[in-house]
Amino acid sequence: MKNKKTEENILLSVVNASYRYSDADSDDYALKDVSFVFEAGKLYAIKGRSGSGKTTLLSLISGLARCTEGSIIFNGKDLKNINLDRYRNSDIGIVFQSYNLLPFMTTLENIILSMDVNGGKFKNKKEKALELMEKVGLKKDYANRKVLRLSGGEQQRVAIARSLSYNPQMIIADEPTGNLDKQTETEILNIFKDLAHKENKCVIIVTHSNNVCNMVDKVYELKSQTKKK
Amino acid sequence: MFILKNAFISITRNKGRNILMGIIILIIACACTVTLAIKNTASDLITSYEEAYDKTATISFNRENMMKNFDMGKEDSRSLAKENFENMASYTVDDVTKYADSKYVSSYYYTYSVGLNGNNIDKANMDNDKDFGNRKGNPLKNYDFTLTGYDKLEAMNEFISGTYTMSEVADNAWDIAFDGNYVFINEELANYNDLSLTDKIKLEDDDDNVYEFEIIGIFKEKEDNEVSMFSSSANNIITNAQAVSTITSKNEDVEGSINPTFIIKSYDDAEKFQEELYGKGLDENFIIQTNEDQVAESLASVSNVNSFATTFLIITLIIGGVVLLVINMINIRERKYEIGVLRTIGISKLKLTLQFVSELLMVSLVFLIIGCLIGSFSAKGISNSLLASEINSSNNNQEEISRNFGGNMDKNPNFGHMKRGIPVVQAYDSIDAVVDMKVLLEMFGIGISLVLVSSVSSMISIQRFSPLTILKERS
Repeated sequence: MKNKKTEENILLSVVNASYRYSDADSDDYALKDVSFVFEAGKLYAIKGRSGSGKTTLLSLISGLARCTEGSIIFNGKDLKNINLDRYRNSDIGIVFQSYNLLPFMTTLENIILSMDVNGGKFKNKKEKALELMEKVGLKKDYANRKVLRLSGGEQQRVAIARSLSYNPQMIIADEPTGNLDKQTETEILNIFKDLAHKENKCVIIVTHSNNVCNMVDKVYELKSQTKKK
Repeated sequence: MFILKNAFISITRNKGRNILMGIIILIIACACTVTLAIKNTASDLITSYEEAYDKTATISFNRENMMKNFDMGKEDSRSLAKENFENMASYTVDDVTKYADSKYVSSYYYTYSVGLNGNNIDKANMDNDKDFGNRKGNPLKNYDFTLTGYDKLEAMNEFISGTYTMSEVADNAWDIAFDGNYVFINEELANYNDLSLTDKIKLEDDDDNVYEFEIIGIFKEKEDNEVSMFSSSANNIITNAQAVSTITSKNEDVEGSINPTFIIKSYDDAEKFQEELYGKGLDENFIIQTNEDQVAESLASVSNVNSFATTFLIITLIIGGVVLLVINMINIRERKYEIGVLRTIGISKLKLTLQFVSELLMVSLVFLIIGCLIGSFSAKGISNSLLASEINSSNNNQEEISRNFGGNMDKNPNFGHMKRGIPVVQAYDSIDAVVDMKVLLEMFGIGISLVLVSSVSSMISIQRFSPLTILKERS
């Protein structure tokens, strides 16, 4: 009974996924034969040393690259068979270590841009963006400020707000607290925790921080020969 | 919609680069407007010139055909050529009328000449100059005078071209010139025989039939022959075709030479017209020759302006296109990060390409409009100068023709039909005719196409960018 419920909750499955760069040797894999499952309402960490393939796995999960072998199933559909642009602008939200905001835009413009790209009919984009800012702990005064004038922690909050703007089912974050101090790290992780536990989202954090690993529901570790912890 | 919004935001944040690109587009727009205006004006002038200039076809000897088997050294060959020449079937006024009845011909005129001797006047000749009386009957036979009859005013090419000019003309000369026994004689002949206006002259044929004519005009040839005492036209007496026709009908032994000119509808029809005439009985030793080369020669200067404008336009477009191409490539390289972020958050390649194209088009449109305004202002001066020159040249030409006929020809109803070779340039004295809708559409078409073509390589780059790679490079 419990297993059945778990299966119903599975949002994303990584099934024997491997990735090899096109210019690499035939046996030189960046990621080899990895299988994980991710459920809605849980906070995950993917841990591993440098070169273990964390970022490659994140790229595959976020649809920025396609598996060379194996598959990734989202909501029962293989990512190989769906429009990855659409997948990225509606089903998942991505948060990067270096924020990847558009520096020439304001906080509000960055958040609204994601809604625009999503193409959904949002009643009042500006109001929704301000709500999201409040949710991630950003002052409303920052709304019309260029993101370059914000601190690292504030920019990361903008990036999280942007990723939430179209209400995706899954948030994927690549070292989201790598550039932040301890206190801010904890605040950001609490936001992710709330998103998973209160809003039933699946949050996957790629990290090498033990502090992060201690706060998540489940940790997957990538080694040279990947295995599940 | 957000694509346009993003495009607008990108334009305002990259002012320097967009202004630089705008300046280049502005220069291209200026150059395009000016050259297109000149090119179109020149083309219009050429068209109107060609429309105003009669397309004429005349019957000429096919000398090449005649001389094909001719060998100067052989007596037989010379005799054969002479025999061929004499036996060559000529054509009559009726034939000419029949030839002119063709779908390729819009109208025609002709001259009709016979050789006659003087009865009460002497030929103005101090040496043994020979005067060919007619071509068909006996080409080597000498006559004192050549009596040339014109059927219409349009046929009087020597006056139109200015070879002959009237020095004295009776008041009513042009009212009666084409009906009755009236003649125009050369000033040298008049002086030699002490003749003046209204005097009567008598000419006679080989059978001593005498024909009397009244002098209604005295003309002179433009350039005197420095070798001979008299000009070549000294013994040319001009009358109307009807008068010559009366002589040839009265005495069948007097054979005239007819030189018809057909106004054809198109130069392309010349060969077909020639075939039609052969079918109607024209001897194949004759060919049809048009004035196409002559017209092209007359239009050489305007055509040169046209060619210059075209060349200048092409060079401007090539240089402008290359510069725009480079700027676009730099633009894309500079904005790789932006492209990476936009692709990561899920914007499709197509929408991203549309955003970049929209940016280019917005900048282009603004600067094309400004460039067009500046260009049309500049084109005004250049085009007006060109038009003024053409109008001036045309007016001089018309006045000269009027002078050749003794002046006051504007009153003559037939003069309106004689503007052969004169472009109706007054139709283009307004600047609106120069930078018109056509020029604007062409300019915008060329400008926008150039901008799009120059952005192709950068658009291809967008398609090839991998967001992951871009963001990794950034990290």
